Amino acid sequence: MNSVILSATARIFFTAMLLVSIWILFRGHNEPGGGFVGGLMGAAAFSILAFASGVPTARRALILHPIVLAGVGLALAALSGLPGLFYNDSYLLHHWGYVPLGFTEIKVGTTMIFDLGVYFVVVGGILSFIFRLYEEQPV
Amino acid sequence: MSATSMLLAGLAASVATPFLAARFKRFGGALCVAVAAAMFAFFLSQVGAVAVAPVVDTVSWVPALGVDLTIRLDGFSLLFALLISGIGTLVTLYAAGYMDEKPDFTRSLFLLYILLFMMAMLATVTADNLIAMFVFWEMTSLLSFLLVGFDSKKAEAREAALQSLVVTVGGGLALLAGIILIGVGAGTFSIGALLADSSALVASPYFGPAIVLVMIGCFTKSAQVPFHFWLPNAMAAPTPASAYLHSATMVKLGVFLLAKLSPIFVQAEWFGPTLVIFGCATMVVAAVQALRSTAFKAVLAFSTVASLGTITMLIGLDGELAAVSVVGFITAHALYKAALFFCAGVVIHGTGQPELDRLGGLGAKMPVTRVAIILAALSAAGLPPFVGFIAKEYLFEGQLVSSFAIATVTVAVLVNAVMVAIAAIVVLRPFFGKAPADLHVHHGESPGMYIGPLVLGVAGLVFGLAPWLIAGSLLQPAASAINSAPMSVSFSLWHGFTPMLALSALVVALGALVTLKWNAIHAVLKPSAALERLLGDGGYQAMMRGLDAGSAWATPRFQNGDPRFYGAVTASAVTLLIFYGLLSGDGPLVPTPPDEPFRLYVVAAVVMIVVGCLAAVLAQSVVSAIIATGVAGYGLALIFLFNGGPDLALTQFSVETLFVVIVTAVILRLPLVLGVTRKRRERVYDVGLSLAFAFAVFICVLWIAAAPFNAALPEYFATVSYTEAFGRNVVNVILVDFRSLDTFGEIAVVALAAIAAWALLRATGEKPKPSGKGAPKAAPKAAPKAAPKAASKGAKEPAAPTQEA
Repeated sequence: MNSVILSATARIFFTAMLLVSIWILFRGHNEPGGGFVGGLMGAAAFSILAFASGVPTARRALILHPIVLAGVGLALAALSGLPGLFYNDSYLLHHWGYVPLGFTEIKVGTTMIFDLGVYFVVVGGILSFIFRLYEEQPV
Repeated sequence: MSATSMLLAGLAASVATPFLAARFKRFGGALCVAVAAAMFAFFLSQVGAVAVAPVVDTVSWVPALGVDLTIRLDGFSLLFALLISGIGTLVTLYAAGYMDEKPDFTRSLFLLYILLFMMAMLATVTADNLIAMFVFWEMTSLLSFLLVGFDSKKAEAREAALQSLVVTVGGGLALLAGIILIGVGAGTFSIGALLADSSALVASPYFGPAIVLVMIGCFTKSAQVPFHFWLPNAMAAPTPASAYLHSATMVKLGVFLLAKLSPIFVQAEWFGPTLVIFGCATMVVAAVQALRSTAFKAVLAFSTVASLGTITMLIGLDGELAAVSVVGFITAHALYKAALFFCAGVVIHGTGQPELDRLGGLGAKMPVTRVAIILAALSAAGLPPFVGFIAKEYLFEGQLVSSFAIATVTVAVLVNAVMVAIAAIVVLRPFFGKAPADLHVHHGESPGMYIGPLVLGVAGLVFGLAPWLIAGSLLQPAASAINSAPMSVSFSLWHGFTPMLALSALVVALGALVTLKWNAIHAVLKPSAALERLLGDGGYQAMMRGLDAGSAWATPRFQNGDPRFYGAVTASAVTLLIFYGLLSGDGPLVPTPPDEPFRLYVVAAVVMIVVGCLAAVLAQSVVSAIIATGVAGYGLALIFLFNGGPDLALTQFSVETLFVVIVTAVILRLPLVLGVTRKRRERVYDVGLSLAFAFAVFICVLWIAAAPFNAALPEYFATVSYTEAFGRNVVNVILVDFRSLDTFGEIAVVALAAIAAWALLRATGEKPKPSGKGAPKAAPKAAPKAAPKAASKGAKEPAAPTQEA
């Protein structure tokens, strides 16, 4: 894929799509979005990078190995259920709290950790396919 | 300390100590022995309490399914627990010596298996819930598999391991089915509750089938005819494992369960006679096979099978005395047979010679072992004043007072004569006489290896001389537990001049005769092909061959590697099922669709889908087809969006995008020329099938639209979404909160799929590519057949198909 236009715009697309995917991830609890969709979009962002600048570049941008990323996500999702146990409720019963920021406060809950886990698993899972398929590709 | 916590502590210690044994040889090995000894001490401390009433200790496990972890120690369970932990202690001690020359890792692994097996056994015999018991039961099968195949570099060990697993786990499936039937019929899985009141089970129609299924499970585990063949083959295991699993404990699980449930099962009048028939058949088959064997451990293994047959037969006998003879025989047998195996291990370990007739004159090199084996063999032969003698007296007495007297006594006398001969042969051949010239003794005995048999041999003598040591405290509660009514047990050495004494004398006399004529009998029986066919594992081998042949026949037909074929089969089946469902129901085939307002933008989206589909079908190039499919998918996403499913639409858009990206990447690696794998006739069928499938789905969708919409769930979630889960996006709240465990399962699947894909796609680095000649014409089917060498060469050349694109 030696397209100049693609290579030139890929970085911009990548950054924009990644930001949008994270935004979608965190708005998910109240507006359309969430970990699955966000993850798909994040994976698409890295795919564009892999498509335009090659898999090594995309892997560097991802920092973690896609499988490791999926594992981290799974671990995050598993851990997010633990507070439920400590409060003597059932596993994966989510908890919410308020973090004061001086002038205002934001609401955070363990579902965010869970959703982040979903996001990581989806990104890692899809990219492990895509990186493999584009790697060692005659260019 | 409660029984449950003791078992859990034991499990933890059983996992931990072998790791220490890998690091610190002596200290760690001693710790392993200490774990087993601690279990023994614990169960010994329970003797007093159990003699009064069963000790019950309940911990809730899976309350939703009614599965709890109840430990119920009655007399019979306690007897087994003592045998398991007691012999387990000696086995760990023995194994440390037996594996002394092996690498640290191997030795520790073996100790780990042995200790885990001990814990699984203890849990099996003490579990009150039948489902829980079954789980532990299967654990013992798995550990037996690992131990039989311990010498995994030997093909025969692997084969024997597989055979033992197939037979015992196959029977385990029958047992599970039987247990489920018991649970359905009785409304409880608790053995204690069943023993207290079995009227519901007996009255239910499942009673008979449940007994048959449980019997099959028990017969496979305890190597009864026709499943007797796996146990002698399992002698491929290291000797400590043979002594422990395949003589003293695990193979007794089948008879354990039969005896335990016998107070319930005897209410079917055919239960007892069936056990007597199979028990006697097993005794005879095993006796004949023992006479045909030459290997030290094989002879002992067949005598074990015969003993198991004896116990099965005894359980089937009616009369109170049978219960006493069952517990007496189990105790005596465990003591002497484990000791005999231990001694066999010392001999084989020291000489490397497994064949009995190549051994001789070892008495001087292994004096203590000789004493131990003489003690054990005298008990095995049923000579006074050993505990084996008392057991045999009770065996005959139980038979004589039962309603099967003549037949069973005849079988028992003949088979026990062979047992006497075996006891004599395994002592005389290796330890007396002259050493054969080619017998090379690598080393003599070591204390770690002769303490075990000596302790067991002496125990056989002590319990014979002083039967009151175990009679009241141990055997009486055990016999009462399987007799379902308390009874008094007089387990004594001297009964006076009784018919049983005469029978014992007859057995010994016959046994002496068989010992003298051992070689002659062996020479007659050994070469018989008919016996081999009849008594060997021919049926099992035929079954496995049939399985292989069946798979070889079915695999290329159902898994021919052509996804179009799979698609056609799947779609045909689904279409047929849908039409069957539609046509078999009442009412019209096509429902009256509800009134929908005409919405132009929805029609536009539908047109987009139709155009996409048509383009995909008609496209000549794969890339165009993929993009066309993507267009259809976007159209669908639009429809989701129009109908108020923004989350779904968003996901669909992303999925379609990634679909195009991924599939494009996939086809970059495949030849671009579409290979045609379907014949012309098949393609005509495919077109018809596609239309029929589409039509079926169309009608289904109409039905879904026509069915009244139940708004209860959406309303519920809309109400509680914010109040309980603090989110306004109901879809996301369901995913991450209400049904988060489902989501967790799904992402686990995604992660596992990713790992699998990562590993599998690695191989495509050497992608198989049709070599030079006629590459573009080659069908995809031919590609995997290309030699890997050609592929690595091909990778350097520019990839022809890609450029053609």
